[in-house]
Amino acid sequence: MSKLSSNSDAGSANFDLLRTPILGRILGWRHSRTLLQVPLFLLSVVMVLHGLFGPALAPKNLATTLSWVHFRGALVLVMLVAGNFFCLACPFMLVRQAARRFFRPRRNWPRILRNKWLSLGLLVLTLFAYELFDLWSSPWWTAWLIIAYFLGALLVDGVFKHASFCKYVCPIGQFNFVASTISPLEVKVRDQEVCLECRTKDCIRGRRDSPRSLNVIQRGCELALFQPLKIGNMDCTFCLDCVHACPHDNVGIMSRLSAGELMTDPPRSGVGYFSRRKDLAALATVFTFGALLNAFGMVSPVYALQRWLAGVLHLQREAPVLGLIFAFFLVVEPVLLFGLAAGLSKKWGGAKEAIIPLSIRHSYGLVPLGFAVWLSHYAFHFLTGIFTFIPIFQSALASIGWPILGEPHWGLAGMPKSAVYPLELGFLGLGLLGSLLVSYRLTEEGSAQRPGLAFAPWAGLCALLWIAAMWLMSQPMEMRGSFLSG
Amino acid sequence: MMHEVAPQPPKVGPATITVSLADSAGKPIAGARVKLEGNMSHPGMNPVFGAAREIGDGRYQASIEFTMGGDWVMLVRVDLPDGQKFEREFEVKGVQAG
Repeated sequence: MSKLSSNSDAGSANFDLLRTPILGRILGWRHSRTLLQVPLFLLSVVMVLHGLFGPALAPKNLATTLSWVHFRGALVLVMLVAGNFFCLACPFMLVRQAARRFFRPRRNWPRILRNKWLSLGLLVLTLFAYELFDLWSSPWWTAWLIIAYFLGALLVDGVFKHASFCKYVCPIGQFNFVASTISPLEVKVRDQEVCLECRTKDCIRGRRDSPRSLNVIQRGCELALFQPLKIGNMDCTFCLDCVHACPHDNVGIMSRLSAGELMTDPPRSGVGYFSRRKDLAALATVFTFGALLNAFGMVSPVYALQRWLAGVLHLQREAPVLGLIFAFFLVVEPVLLFGLAAGLSKKWGGAKEAIIPLSIRHSYGLVPLGFAVWLSHYAFHFLTGIFTFIPIFQSALASIGWPILGEPHWGLAGMPKSAVYPLELGFLGLGLLGSLLVSYRLTEEGSAQRPGLAFAPWAGLCALLWIAAMWLMSQPMEMRGSFLSG
Repeated sequence: MMHEVAPQPPKVGPATITVSLADSAGKPIAGARVKLEGNMSHPGMNPVFGAAREIGDGRYQASIEFTMGGDWVMLVRVDLPDGQKFEREFEVKGVQAG
């Protein structure tokens, strides 16, 4: 009982999405994931075809417009109001699932890679490639990125068992896992008492057509999250396998306190302790500082910095200049700021933890603010360009001799920037508030003799990053692909 | 087709774009209808539009507004007097913000 009771909210009168009349019935259907994946898969095919064979100009192409405006914006907004529903509807998994009817993976994912370091590297590489190759402006490269994702998922999950691609490789998945820690919904058990009586544990083992059969008729969690001991959204793809596997109908999509899972450090099934996971802390750090860096890439001061660095170091190519900027903002700056905050927290508050464990524990405190920066940035593009896909569809259909949607209305865009700006500021304000609350709770949970004083440096760090984010969002946006040419 | 952008270097705000049309023999083309559309290299941004007026000698001038700094791609749509239509594009790189 003591172990299972760690998921303490279960069984309470929380809102349960699966108990709602229409959406609940749809999501509770065994093939609900496929139902959501098929349209996204078809859309992906259209995007790839348009990216490879359609107009080369990014604002006229579905690959670039849907990827960099609509997908990213919708993803963060859904994370904010619901949860990780994009992993649920992931089209890459539809293809891998179809392929697994023919190829059964035999190998386990290598033990040395059972962490986030590889996927973290791929996430940084994706962010780096986005800036270096101006992916936003290239339908062709964007199409190949989508193809690479399909191939990557097929290759990894074709060789390795379970959801190795999702848990250990997919950069989008890692982004979603961290972002979904602030979501208000979580897949979890409804009543812990029911789990105590359960003997089959189908939510993790899956169900076979007979006890001796190898034929799985319903998967259990492929990401090794045992529902009764699962806490939070980290590593959860919302695939709902556990929902369909549970013979007691005891798993729901429940409401919870947004970011609440960041405030405590219990042992989590399939994840362990956050405070002992350097890889997860590094992922959370890149998530937060990468949000600022990604937004920094869109304002004019970045070009001044690039030109200055290129001049000082006599560099003619963008890659090394960009590499230095990435190294500074994703490694040097966080190390210095965390080190300083942890050092001051120890000195003022009398915390007994060493600087590195203290920094690791508090790296999760910045996630709400990091999410707010991603949200402000991507919601800006999404809301100001929400209708831009319409003329592109009109044009694409006309170009294949099927002008059923009429002449393209190229003037269609979205909300005016002046109307979106207050929303951005609101998101950042909420992010700051969330980070302050999480950091305070983390300080309270720690070993500080004077928690108020121990919290002050972390509050200062949150405020500093918030000021940086406010400054970035107030800058006039500038999209340039050729900084060295002036 | 030739083009000029003023002011130089281009800045955020009003700009004048002049397009010159000539036939294969180099003779200026009069009486065409010329429309311009400017897009950022990033998708999802508001495009800007301008209809050019003929200022003589096969030259057509349009006022447009660069609403953001960065790289712009101008699309020029031309309706020739003989009914032919064509579209060309050119880049305006490094429009300066502020």
